[in-house]
Amino acid sequence: MELGAPIKEHFLSPRNVGELGAAAYIGHTGSMICGATMRVELRIDESRRIADAKFKAAGCSFLVGAASLLTEAVRGELAAEVGALLQSSANSLGQLLGEIPAEKSHCVKLVRDGLLAAIAAYSDFVRDEWQGDEALICTCFCVSEKTVEAAITMDGLRTIAEVTRACNAGGGCRSCYALIEDMLRCAEQPTSR
Amino acid sequence: MIYLDNNATTRVAPEVFAAMQPFLTEHYGNPASAHTPGRYMKAAVERAREQVAGLLGAASPGEIIFTSCGSESDNWAIGGFLEQNPTRRHIITTRVEHEAVRNLCEHLAEIGCEVTWLEVDGNGALDLNDLRKALRPDTGIVSVMLANNETGVLFPIAEVGRIVREHSAAVFHVDGVQAVGKVPINLKEMEVDLFALSGHKLHAPQGIGALYIRDGLKLPPFIIGGAQEHGRRAGTSAVPNIVGLGAACELAQQADGHEQILRLRNKLEDEILARIPNAILNGARDRSKRLPNTANISFQYVEGENIMMLLDEAGICVSTGSACHSGTHQASPTLRAMNVPYTAAQGSIRFSLGRYNTDEDINRTLEVLPEIVDRLVAMSPYEQELKALQRAG
Repeated sequence: MELGAPIKEHFLSPRNVGELGAAAYIGHTGSMICGATMRVELRIDESRRIADAKFKAAGCSFLVGAASLLTEAVRGELAAEVGALLQSSANSLGQLLGEIPAEKSHCVKLVRDGLLAAIAAYSDFVRDEWQGDEALICTCFCVSEKTVEAAITMDGLRTIAEVTRACNAGGGCRSCYALIEDMLRCAEQPTSR
Repeated sequence: MIYLDNNATTRVAPEVFAAMQPFLTEHYGNPASAHTPGRYMKAAVERAREQVAGLLGAASPGEIIFTSCGSESDNWAIGGFLEQNPTRRHIITTRVEHEAVRNLCEHLAEIGCEVTWLEVDGNGALDLNDLRKALRPDTGIVSVMLANNETGVLFPIAEVGRIVREHSAAVFHVDGVQAVGKVPINLKEMEVDLFALSGHKLHAPQGIGALYIRDGLKLPPFIIGGAQEHGRRAGTSAVPNIVGLGAACELAQQADGHEQILRLRNKLEDEILARIPNAILNGARDRSKRLPNTANISFQYVEGENIMMLLDEAGICVSTGSACHSGTHQASPTLRAMNVPYTAAQGSIRFSLGRYNTDEDINRTLEVLPEIVDRLVAMSPYEQELKALQRAG
């Protein structure tokens, strides 16, 4: 098949092929549809940002190109924000990857799942490290109600995406979205009530 | 360009083009017409029929009917026989047939035929006892390919034909598309009733094929209409293409070129297997049981489609059994039938040589390929498995 220009360029000279060693968060994925397998490794720094991203893959050229492009795109971004974005819509990937042919949508899903699995490994790490005893809003990244509330009121946040960016809450399984929405609604009420 | 995809299609030979050219320029006329130009065209068609019969070793040129392609010939042979013999709806074929036979038989199974699929072993070979056991009084047709398009593995059709004849009243159809022009064929010495071939696999143009129908075998016309091809296949004869197929058959009968193809294929295959640790051969190790031009090699734990694309970038054309074309993509049915592990089937590349390949082509391929495979090995997530191969190698 004819590859789109950005995908082809990345397939011919793939960026970020390799491993990151012991400190990395690792995500494995495979496709039952095409037999492709891949591994994504992320290094996430103190500021919760993806400092480095690497991959290895045995899959079609589209998969390799997409993995190269996406690992390039996530570097420097907040891990939780990337997690939320990857789950929210496939269209955001379309802009990066160019046109995604229907028969290649499973390849894109594979890269996305690889990144999400690595971010889930990061979430597991955060949970293991968690020492506090406050009530949690986001159990994936152990963000307490107090932290979310403080972020909303002090920074005047209005959307879940802003909350995720500020404190990680909502960047994992997203089951806390309803709770965060409630808190955002409460914060919008006039304080004089 | 280095073209190592001759099982997909071949370049039209200059000799073939030269034979065709007058029929695309100065000569015209319908071979069904009784006037002088018509008779000239008719004579050209009949000469081509003799040339095709000569290459196949048919008893008489009348046994050759021109069609549009190999798939038409296969469809006509199997579908036509079943139309003629509606009560004999048991078909025997193999797991590794070309789609023209495999998908047709799957379709026939859906509409009330019963199909027995003969298995192959790890080398791609049939167990002829399976065939003996499968034959029944209601078996109408047995369809077995002569050479596998992916691996080049040859089936012993002379023996298959004998068994079919001895143990049943079934007719025997051979899909010979991939073999014609590559290995000697002598149909009059074999118990073969029907035999399909395609022109573009042996340096004739695309759009021309033929079906051998053994003298005396009844087969209803596949296309109903005029009296062309003795009323067996209607439609105005494609004279330039027919002339091209005839010339290609004559060219294939000349001795030159065949030795060179075999030598270059062996060199390519030996060097790849010796130099690339994760390379394994698919199909019979015994080269006498394979086409002389084909080497199907799996590069384990890497993706064949990547190799194909990167070779293409280097100007080298091959094909892969693993092209991810559709959402339901799986490795090639032929390799799966041979129980090739999927981590190897995914990395399969078919090199198929032809009469225009040179030592330089093979040297260049051997120069480029190891680097490409190295690069993909470095990208593969199967590090442990690859390391184990390195140690074993």
